[in-house]
Amino acid sequence: MRGVSKKKAGYGMSRKDIMLGNEAIARGLVEAGCEVAASYPGTPSSEILPAVAHWAEELGTRTVVEWGANEKVALEYAIGASFARKRSCAIMKQVGLNVAMDPFMSIAANEMDGGVLLVVADEPGCYSSQTDQDSRALALFAKIPCFDPCDAVEAKAMVFDAYEISEKYRVLTMLRPTGRVNHCRQAVECGDGVIPGRPLEFRRMPEGHRILMPMTMRGALERHNRRFEELRREFGTAFGKYNFEVPAQGPARLGIIACGLCYAVVRDVLKALGRTDVALLKIGTPVPLPLDLVQDFIGRHDSVLILEETFPVVEQQLLDRTKVQGRWNGWVPMEWELSPEVITSIILRALGEPAALPAWEATLEEARKALQLGRRGPRLCPGCGHRPSYLAIRKAYPDCILCSDIGCYGLAIAQKAVDTNVCMGGSITVASGIAMAFRAEGKPASRPIFATLGDSTFFHMGLPGLASAVYNKHPFVLVILDNGITAMTGGQGHPGVGGKLRPGEKSGSVDIEGAVRGCGVTHLVVQEPYDVSGSVRVLKEAWEHARTAEEPAVVILRHPCITMLKAPPTPRPVRVDPDKCTGCRYCLTHFNCPGIGWDENTKKTFIDRRFCVSCGVCVDACPRDAIVFTGEEA
Amino acid sequence: MKYIVAGIGGQGILFATKVLGHIALGKGLPVIGSEVHGMSQRGGSVISHFKIGDYQSPLIASGDADIFLAFDQSEALRNYHFLREGGQAVINVEHPAELAHPRLQDYFRQRRITLHALDGLGLIREHLGGKFLFLNVLILGALCGAGVGNFSRDEMRQAVGELAPARFREENLKGFDLGYGALAK
Repeated sequence: MRGVSKKKAGYGMSRKDIMLGNEAIARGLVEAGCEVAASYPGTPSSEILPAVAHWAEELGTRTVVEWGANEKVALEYAIGASFARKRSCAIMKQVGLNVAMDPFMSIAANEMDGGVLLVVADEPGCYSSQTDQDSRALALFAKIPCFDPCDAVEAKAMVFDAYEISEKYRVLTMLRPTGRVNHCRQAVECGDGVIPGRPLEFRRMPEGHRILMPMTMRGALERHNRRFEELRREFGTAFGKYNFEVPAQGPARLGIIACGLCYAVVRDVLKALGRTDVALLKIGTPVPLPLDLVQDFIGRHDSVLILEETFPVVEQQLLDRTKVQGRWNGWVPMEWELSPEVITSIILRALGEPAALPAWEATLEEARKALQLGRRGPRLCPGCGHRPSYLAIRKAYPDCILCSDIGCYGLAIAQKAVDTNVCMGGSITVASGIAMAFRAEGKPASRPIFATLGDSTFFHMGLPGLASAVYNKHPFVLVILDNGITAMTGGQGHPGVGGKLRPGEKSGSVDIEGAVRGCGVTHLVVQEPYDVSGSVRVLKEAWEHARTAEEPAVVILRHPCITMLKAPPTPRPVRVDPDKCTGCRYCLTHFNCPGIGWDENTKKTFIDRRFCVSCGVCVDACPRDAIVFTGEEA
Repeated sequence: MKYIVAGIGGQGILFATKVLGHIALGKGLPVIGSEVHGMSQRGGSVISHFKIGDYQSPLIASGDADIFLAFDQSEALRNYHFLREGGQAVINVEHPAELAHPRLQDYFRQRRITLHALDGLGLIREHLGGKFLFLNVLILGALCGAGVGNFSRDEMRQAVGELAPARFREENLKGFDLGYGALAK
């Protein structure tokens, strides 16, 4: 988008840009008159909010574009703006919706004022997620409408319809792309016009909606259920552009119902197979499912395959599944992505023509085995401050219990440093739980307990855990790995560092030390993690305090993100002294820097100049002092 | 035409597919592709699918790609299966002996795959001061040099120049020419 669109601006009435699905959704939001957009970053949704700011600049709208400290904050921002009659939206990844479940479920049955969209990006395949949940199932649970786009163009179009539906039925409306739609790149039409914003209006309605309490639910629940059935009828009759049939040529041997990306894949697979004897029903509004449409299709075919990601949401809404081949009877796998290969094999099997594995696959697999092709997992960047932070914790206490969190630093799993990793903020509270387990044995902790999380994660969900730990006097050391940015998702601001997306807007910032002290922590030290021996000393002192005072101690290991903040280290070039290197591989297994390579011939390590950024920190990672500064040599 | 581009996070793979998209859009050709963002970008395997023509989905199936660009040899090995019979690959090679492995050669023969290999890192060390960031444009140059794909040298070179940030423009073009020269007949 950037670069391309600026050069092409002013092309006339409308133009097409190659853009990411996320940029297309953002374009739709701005053109559809969204006036308040809020988010917390998370793959695969992260690019949407910055793109909203970009398009708002280009189209000259006043759209307020802001990160919240977490997804619950972002959704509540959108709810408040809707109460003031503005079109608003909250954007998050699927795991973020778990954080926002409280406002999500509470507001579902409510009558909203301005159109309000919840954009939730699911991630089949778990590329950057710890769950493969299907947010459409939560739309069904909450009984709110859901749109399921098949590509970037449709995702953008659905934004307009979702706002129409949201306002017509006064209901929170979900747009649920999957990661392949978020990150597909496609030519998308850019409109010139923007639907004008509404004047702010907030009428007091003491007896009305907006107040969610037991006594206001009477009538609201009945209305909510009625609304859901009306939506089902409307999706079945007025949404032919998203729910339509691609008929077979002649009698169909098989019917397929497909949603979202699966629809696009099925189209390409049928074309590649040269099949014209398969009928396809696309469903773009899976919740509430237009049952008449679907049951009519099933009724006209002998057997029907259902392809949707990741949960059987359409399948489970059916009243009769006897003719259906899906997840309920094992035709469609329950796990992982429905890739073109998987879909091809399911279709061929359903047609009774299963394909044999081609011979070349076995040859290639043998070559891979012979050449010892391993997995290449993601790793912390060379020069990252997190790497020496974990080295220092493990040097201070090799047997400590280390609870980590969600962020780049989770990659320290490759340094043999991390023991637990659950969810945002879970480092602190899981460490608390382990401290409570020791307490339950009636004796002090026999192993040091450490929690590590980043600065953005600390503000996302770390604060309630820290306040609770101070309250309950849990002895552990919280290490805040402060790199001054939300790094893993691409470098977004957060309350600790400020930074706004619309140019020229002012932001405030919360002092992390002040927030930690405000939670009641008495032992707080800030330390530079590149100084490994200094960090080891500080970490030991912190655990001594936590253990003896029976309360959490906090160490902030602070080094700016070298990638996102473009803060390259002062060069301290190093080399491996082959006479001292014993080939013990400690630096590989416990420091795990891409800048250190392994020479299979000499069975020794070497500095890989392709990746090394000369931070010099690995000098402290070698137990034999074999990594030496080149400058210090005679 | 279906392209697979594979490499390691940080090698600028997304920029390479952006260049292809830019040219295709300029010619009014329909394009759709798929990228990997997020955690996998941190030094892990990265793969980008890119299709020009009448397609609905951004994904390319195993055995279906016309052209395969590999920025890294082991990522090449991981992803050869995407190539169709008779497909072509442009590969940055560091260890020629591995490419010559008999089973791998068997596979290339079985599938009638044409390989265009070059030592991109060596070229960059020698002519671009070891700035490995320019490997992506070097591979795009090599693609044109090998005469593979549907883009001419001029249109690709122009697109690289247009999309590169101004301060890196000259070095990007140098990298492109280096790759072109390495494989041009």
